[in-house]
Amino acid sequence: MKNSKILIAIMALMFVFLIGPFVVIIISSFSNDAVMRFPPRGFSLQWYEKVLNIQMFQTTFWMSLKTGLAATFTALLLGVPVAYTNVRFRYPGKNVLELFFSSPAIVPGLVIGFSLLRFFIYVTQVPILLGLYLGHTAILFPYTVRVVSASLRNFDPGIEEAAVSLGSTPLHAFFAVVLPNIRSGLVAAFILAFITSFNNVPVSLFLTGPGVATLPIQMLIYMEYYFDPTISALSSILIVLTVIIVQAAEKLLGISKYM
Amino acid sequence: MLLLGPGAMFLLLFFFSPLLFVLAESLRGAQGQVTLARYGEVLSDAQFRIVFVRTLKMALIVTPIAVIVAYPSAYLMTKVSAGKKSILMSLVILPLMTSPVARTYAWIVILGKYGIVNQTMGALGLFKEPARMMYTEGAIIVGLLQLFLPIMVLTLVSAMENVQEEVEEAALSLGSGRIGCFFRVIVPLSFDGLIMGVTLVFTGCITAYVTPAILGGAKVLTLATLMRQEALVLMNWEAATVIAVIMIATTLLLYNGLRLFKPRNLV
Repeated sequence: MKNSKILIAIMALMFVFLIGPFVVIIISSFSNDAVMRFPPRGFSLQWYEKVLNIQMFQTTFWMSLKTGLAATFTALLLGVPVAYTNVRFRYPGKNVLELFFSSPAIVPGLVIGFSLLRFFIYVTQVPILLGLYLGHTAILFPYTVRVVSASLRNFDPGIEEAAVSLGSTPLHAFFAVVLPNIRSGLVAAFILAFITSFNNVPVSLFLTGPGVATLPIQMLIYMEYYFDPTISALSSILIVLTVIIVQAAEKLLGISKYM
Repeated sequence: MLLLGPGAMFLLLFFFSPLLFVLAESLRGAQGQVTLARYGEVLSDAQFRIVFVRTLKMALIVTPIAVIVAYPSAYLMTKVSAGKKSILMSLVILPLMTSPVARTYAWIVILGKYGIVNQTMGALGLFKEPARMMYTEGAIIVGLLQLFLPIMVLTLVSAMENVQEEVEEAALSLGSGRIGCFFRVIVPLSFDGLIMGVTLVFTGCITAYVTPAILGGAKVLTLATLMRQEALVLMNWEAATVIAVIMIATTLLLYNGLRLFKPRNLV
């Protein structure tokens, strides 16, 4: 079929465009040149060594990790009850409330970070770190609601009703029957939310400052001053980690259906 | 109802109040009166206008290209075997899950002075001098396209999965050609997904920060990088506040405007 050959060609080109840059970055990270030159003229591991020796990258990596974990846990704690209510019950004004709960996904991240900075840091003198945590929680919240809702919709409410009719309290049924059955949805929500937070720039941009920075923000700062392949090496590490997580999550959970 | 309480409380306190505060700030005059003077100042600023038009223009270029590339690819992905589809899907998700800083940085290696394009063209004797591709609108467009293509593909794949195989077969057996079938059956039936994808990509392009920050720098500003410059470099909080409100307004307008295209009569 002639048509499908054209389709395959378009798709192949698309994947070259999407994945090619990753290959380029990984190759360039092994360069022995101090300027970004491609193809590199020789091989070295010096940029990886440099990444490990720059203290700021380590500090900000831990900051990103802690912010991501804290915000993801909070977003799940807030999001699971909302998802459960929206999937199980009908109530008046449900559409409006669904829109209300998804609004942090619609407002640009840059504006969320900016407004938190203006409001909390300047008006109420809240520490910037708390602002960072709140901003990340706000953007992850709709994410967790959506992913957990999707997995709740695939869970037969009859099983939960059976538990209640057999004498379980609704609360006990929720923890003993519902939660274990949507485990993979919860794990998927956790992974997606954490990665979203870990990679986030727009919200963090205004909520970081002297002494408080996340890894992506620190990478942007470094790039303003240096043009060597250090960022290539750091990016390569992040890419390889992402490949491992995405592959595992797709194999074990089929994460693409939650996105 | 009780279950919604904590989440609603959180959003009201830490999301909606700050936004309303910023909105109120943008309307507050020097004597505390309500005024649109700040909007007037920003909107009449020549630099702001250039940046605003440029941002819209880039979104208008990136979105249709994303549709044209993503539609055939997404269509193919719904046709292949489950095993192949899983592989292709993880190739689409991978860029989406990777740090945007890392993804955008790759374009410096490709488009930079000693990057792939310049080295190749130089070796072929096509460029006498390295061409300047970084810090141009073109570089930002390429970066945005790579950033948002996966979102378009995912939205279209999930929309086309709902199109039943039988409908397509019926059209084909009734004498429709493959291309005719695609445009008259598949596209209308996945139209909601298309609108969703267009909305996400278009608003994404308008509000994206990392791509224009790395590939455009201070030379080619967009709304997002201009807002950051006003706030953190020039310390002009008033202007940044107004730009923030304009960004939300543009996003909401697009979200609601594009919803009008829902073709109820077709499904």
